[in-house]
Amino acid sequence: MRNYSLKVWLHRGLLAASAAAFTLASVPSGAQGAPTPPQQAPELAIAVCGTCHGVTGNSINPMFPRLAGQHAWYIEQQLKEFRGQTRGDPYAVAFMYGMANQLSNATIVALAKYFSSQTPGPGTPHPEAIIARGRNIFEHGIPTQGVPACAACHGPQGLGSSAFPRLAGQHAKYIMKQLESFQSNMRKVAIMHGVASTLHRSQMRAVADYLESLP
Amino acid sequence: MRLKTRFQLAMAVAAACVLLAPAAQAVPSFSRQTGMACAACHTVFPELTHFGRVFKANGYVLDNLQQVRAVSSDRQQLLSLSQLPTLSVMMQTSYSQISKAKPDAAGGTAQNGTVEFPRQLSLFYAGRIAPHLGIFSQLTYDGKADHVSIDNTDVRFAKLIVLPHKNTLTYGLSLNNNPTVQDLWNTTPAWGYPFSHSNVAVSGTPLGPADVQIDEAFGQLAAGLTAYAFYDESLYVEFGGYRSFQPGAVAPLDSSDSSVLAGFSPYWRLAYEYDWSANALEVGTFGEDFHVYPGGGVPLSGPTSTYLDVAGDMQFQHVGERNIYTVAATYIHENMHAMPAGATNPSDNLSVAKFWASYYYRRRYGAILAWFDTSGSRDSGLYGFGCSPGQTTSSCAAHALKTSATNSPDSDGAIIEADYLPWLNVKLSAQYVLFNKYMGGTSNYDGYGRSASDNNVLQIMLWYAF
Repeated sequence: MRNYSLKVWLHRGLLAASAAAFTLASVPSGAQGAPTPPQQAPELAIAVCGTCHGVTGNSINPMFPRLAGQHAWYIEQQLKEFRGQTRGDPYAVAFMYGMANQLSNATIVALAKYFSSQTPGPGTPHPEAIIARGRNIFEHGIPTQGVPACAACHGPQGLGSSAFPRLAGQHAKYIMKQLESFQSNMRKVAIMHGVASTLHRSQMRAVADYLESLP
Repeated sequence: MRLKTRFQLAMAVAAACVLLAPAAQAVPSFSRQTGMACAACHTVFPELTHFGRVFKANGYVLDNLQQVRAVSSDRQQLLSLSQLPTLSVMMQTSYSQISKAKPDAAGGTAQNGTVEFPRQLSLFYAGRIAPHLGIFSQLTYDGKADHVSIDNTDVRFAKLIVLPHKNTLTYGLSLNNNPTVQDLWNTTPAWGYPFSHSNVAVSGTPLGPADVQIDEAFGQLAAGLTAYAFYDESLYVEFGGYRSFQPGAVAPLDSSDSSVLAGFSPYWRLAYEYDWSANALEVGTFGEDFHVYPGGGVPLSGPTSTYLDVAGDMQFQHVGERNIYTVAATYIHENMHAMPAGATNPSDNLSVAKFWASYYYRRRYGAILAWFDTSGSRDSGLYGFGCSPGQTTSSCAAHALKTSATNSPDSDGAIIEADYLPWLNVKLSAQYVLFNKYMGGTSNYDGYGRSASDNNVLQIMLWYAF
C-alpha cells in the first residue's frame, strides 16, 4: 500500500471536490440576473423564496408571512405591487421591492400557483380568553368603533376568497404589522385603512392571535 | 531595537501583519445588487442574519439588477453581467485614548489621544461575476501604514440542488485569502467580535499580544481553497487548505521571508444551525493545522513550528423587528510544537476564550458587552523580554510593552460598546476595552511598572459605507 502524505491527500481531496462541484446537476437558479422561466418557478420558490417563507410556504419566522394555501390571485397582486413599488409597509420596501424587481408576469403567476397549492400547517394555540375576544371581533366587528366584521370579506374561518387573502394560520406578528401599516396608511389599501383606523392595539392583538390559532 | 532571536523577529513580522489587517466589513454592493436593504442580510453590520448566511453560501449571486446577457443557440448562458458595477466605499474615522500614554524610546511618552482620518478606507467590488460565481473583494488604504493593499477576498463558486422532500443542498468552493473569512457565522476570527478595535492600542490584536495563528496571523498572507456543503440551510461542512502567499515578497518565497507555511495547511469547519421563530442557534467547530518555516534567513526546509488550532463556537440570535440580540462564544485552543527558534519550551499551548452579547433596538441603538480570556504556558522565549546590552531603561520600557515579566501570555478583560446608527449604513460607536490582566500581570506586568489597566483603550469611531 502506498503511503501518501497529507499534502497529496489534500490535493486529491480538493480536486475531487472541485470535480464533484462542477458536475453535479443543479437547479438553474433564478433571481440570479437572468429571468426565471415559469417552469422553473417551483425551484425558484424553494431555493430563494423558501429561505424566508419556508420551502412549502409555511415560514417559521413570524417576520415573514406564510404563503402556503394563500390565494394565487392575491399573491400575484402583491408581487406586482412589490415589483411596481406601490406596497409601502416596511418589510415590503426593504426586502420585496428588490426580490420582485426582475420577475416576469409569467413567473409571478407560476410562483403564486406554487405557493397557493401548498398545504398550510396547523394553527398555533393561544389562551382561550384572547381567542374568544379575537373571534368576537373577527365575526362581529366592533360596531361602536365602526369596525366591520372581518369575516364578511375574509370568510367565517378566515380562509378568504380569490379577492381577499386567506388569514387562517397566518403569523400573529405579521398580521399585527399589517394592521398597523393599514392604520398608518404606509400600506395603502383604502378599505383596510378604514377598517383598521379605529382599532386599538389590544384589539389587533386579539384578532391576530385568533387568526394564528386557526388551521 | 534589537530582538533576541529570529523567532521573535518572525513574531514581530506576524504581529505587524496582524496590526495592519483591517477589521471585518459589510458592503452596500450587495444591497445594490439585490435591491434589498442591509437589514435583509445583517442585524447590524457586519453581523449576518440567516438570510445573509444563505446569500453568502450561495456565492453572493442573488441578483435583481438588469443584466447584459449572451446565450448560445442551445440556450446556455454565456454571459450575465450587471449593467451597473456593484461597487461600494467604506470609511472609518476614529479617535483613541489609552488609559496611560505609551512610553517612547526617547524616555518620554507618546502623544495620547489619536485621531485617524481615515482610520481605514476601502473600495469593494462585491457581487455576482457569472451565474454561479461571485466575489467579495476589498482594496484597503490603511491610514496607519499609509499604503493601499489587497484586503479580504473571497471568490465563491456555488450551486444549489433541491433534494426530495424539498430539502436544499448548497455546495461550492471558496478561494480566499484569510482563514475563516469565508465562514457564515460571526464566531470565527475573521468576522468575530470586536468588529473593529483601536489601531493605537498597545497590542495590535484587540485582546492582548498573544494570539492563536488562526486569528488573522495569515490574513492576506495565504491563499486557501475550500470545498463546502450546506444542507437544508442548517448543516455546514467545509474542508480545504491554505498555502503561503505574501504580497510584496519575493516569488517564489525563500529564506528572506518569514513565517512561511510548509505545504498546505488543512482547514476544517463543521457547524449546525437550528432556526425557530425569529431565533437561530448555531454550534460548531473549526480549526487549522499550521506548519510554519521561520524563515528570516533560515532556509525553507527542515524543521517547522507546528500550531494545531482547534475551536468550538456557538451563536444565538434573535432578530425581531424591534429587538435584536445575539449571544456568542468562541473558544480556540492551540498546541505549539517543535519550535525551531525562539521558544524556550519544546511545546506550548495557548487558549483564547471570548464571549459577547449584543442588543439593538430597532437597529438604531445598541450595546455590546464582551469578556475575553487568553491563557497559556509560560515561555520566556516567546513572551519574555530581556534588555539587550547597551539599551537604556527607558528604551527597554518602550519595547517591553507587549512582553511579560513573568513570561506569561495571559490576558483577560472586558469590552463595553455603545452604538448609534442614524441610518443602516452609518455607525457611530464608542468602545472601551478594559484589561484586568495583561501578559500575566495586573500590575507591573512588563517589569517596568506598567499595569494591565494602563492599557485600557477608548475608541470613538464613525464607520460608514456607501
